[in-house]
Amino acid sequence: MKRFIGIVGTNSDNSTNRMLLKFIQKHFKEKVAIEICEIKDLPIFNKPKDQKAPEEVQRIANKIVEADGVIISTPEYNHSIPAILKCAFEWFTFTTRPFVDKPVMITGASYGTLGSSRAQIHLRQILDSPEVKARIMPSSEFLLGHSLQAFDENGNLKDENKINELNEIMDEFVQFVDITNQLVGSTYSRNKDINYFSWRDK
Amino acid sequence: MKFVGIVGTNTEDSYNRVLLNFMARHFKKTIDIEVLDINDIPMFNQSNDQTNSEPIQYLNKKITSADGVIIATPEYNHSIPAALQSVIEWLSFRIHPFDGKPVTIVGASYDVQGSSRAQLHLRQVLDAPGVNATVMPGNEFLLGEVHKAFDEKENIKDSKTVEFLESNVKKFVRFVNVINRTESSKDLEDMSDSEDLYATGAIDTTIKDVDMSADDWVEQAAEKVGAVEGDAYVKLDRGVLTVNQLNHFLKSMPMELTYADSNNQFLYYNRMYEAEDMLASRSPNQVGSPLANCHPERTYTGVAWVIQQLRTGKQDRVTVRVPTHGPDKFVVHNYQAIRDEDGNYLGINEYVQDIQPIIDWYLKQTGQELTGGNVDAGSGATDNVDAGSGATTQG
Repeated sequence: MKRFIGIVGTNSDNSTNRMLLKFIQKHFKEKVAIEICEIKDLPIFNKPKDQKAPEEVQRIANKIVEADGVIISTPEYNHSIPAILKCAFEWFTFTTRPFVDKPVMITGASYGTLGSSRAQIHLRQILDSPEVKARIMPSSEFLLGHSLQAFDENGNLKDENKINELNEIMDEFVQFVDITNQLVGSTYSRNKDINYFSWRDK
Repeated sequence: MKFVGIVGTNTEDSYNRVLLNFMARHFKKTIDIEVLDINDIPMFNQSNDQTNSEPIQYLNKKITSADGVIIATPEYNHSIPAALQSVIEWLSFRIHPFDGKPVTIVGASYDVQGSSRAQLHLRQVLDAPGVNATVMPGNEFLLGEVHKAFDEKENIKDSKTVEFLESNVKKFVRFVNVINRTESSKDLEDMSDSEDLYATGAIDTTIKDVDMSADDWVEQAAEKVGAVEGDAYVKLDRGVLTVNQLNHFLKSMPMELTYADSNNQFLYYNRMYEAEDMLASRSPNQVGSPLANCHPERTYTGVAWVIQQLRTGKQDRVTVRVPTHGPDKFVVHNYQAIRDEDGNYLGINEYVQDIQPIIDWYLKQTGQELTGGNVDAGSGATDNVDAGSGATTQG
């Protein structure tokens, strides 16, 4: 059975993205093992000179390295992803770069109609940068709009169509993980000096 | 013109900070750029509202009172730093200082990109309805290979780059002038309901049971309250005058004075001339009327807007040039809020003045001449109609 990490893309106490990941975890438990991972307590990234990750960051990074794939569920703030999620990627890329060649699927929930559509585009672009170098599943999206009304009292998605959509996208993702792993091999060094990238300042 | 420059990163050493500091020095003769750091701003968390914390309120106040904002961003992972994202989230959660604020973006990076992708993300974030900044379109200042860009005094070495930066800033100043005029424009929406222009209410000093629109309101009102007149003494802060002395004193002021109270009732003007000879005509029978009766209906929204500015304390004085008096006069209407010792709004002192003789006298006394100069760099108060006409004589 494949092991995935599900990252809750927000630090809010009440999050329908957290609910969505919990549902995904429960719904697919016969198929894949998903561990849900919080980034809410990460310190704000400040580019430390020694390029050392705080313990919390390293702990999550290790889990990501060991996982077969990552599912990220993001809300939308100001047409983009929350600062805290961005902060997580800054820590990761600046230190041990666990996302290099890692298969990633994006989901998202929002209170309104759009289901975090614009945030998902930003997230794709960030994951696609050579610093992060994740392998994002192309041509797929899962957008959960009106997320406050989407779950029943047991935390299950109410809409059959949405559940079918999830079933399809999860099948696709499992396949994508296999293909990606054949494709990427292990030629790229995860530990390539981050100073190669643009964000060295002074 | 006053700008704030926001350093889009919280790192100790930042070339984006160096860039903003350079801009502040380089443009100091024409604009004032205050460079602000975001190091003290905590990570945004909607479950832990810190909007009222000092560092966030400090930024809020600085941005609110600035004419425009310059944001300098590096690029992390093809986007803007989380630290900057967090700042914008705080400033679009409970408070919205960017709403309608002119913003321009600059950025520096170690590679040749100059933060190009981050700037696009920043534009999209600033454009979200919760932020609602007015980002200047078109301009792009991307400073690549920034480690080679500055000399030892931290000035940009390449003169072409400096020239390009100058042209961008010049454009932004013009943009700010236009945007801030649009944002404060009274013509955009019907605001007439925001003020009781018909003075249907009453305040403590309202003289009741006298018809406000009566031609002889002054006589009726005076009789009703037993107003003193002529040689009766009035004690003032600080002095004692007779009513006659007070009248002559006010008539000798070098401007037309009008008093409207906080109930929007026109109570007094210092009748120096007959209506047709005044810069802003008033006739004796108008006194006592609600402000609605003294203005044509199409101007109600503008009148209400001015009163709202003063009543809410957004401005203490609204100044408007009225250019219809010909090239020999420069007539200015000032709407000055009248407040008591505690700051409570009491009404408007409208003083109308032709300031052309004052300018002429000043120039003669000091031997100076006005030159055309750079009208863009003038203050936000400069009106469209001022540019190049009236007071400006080419030197």
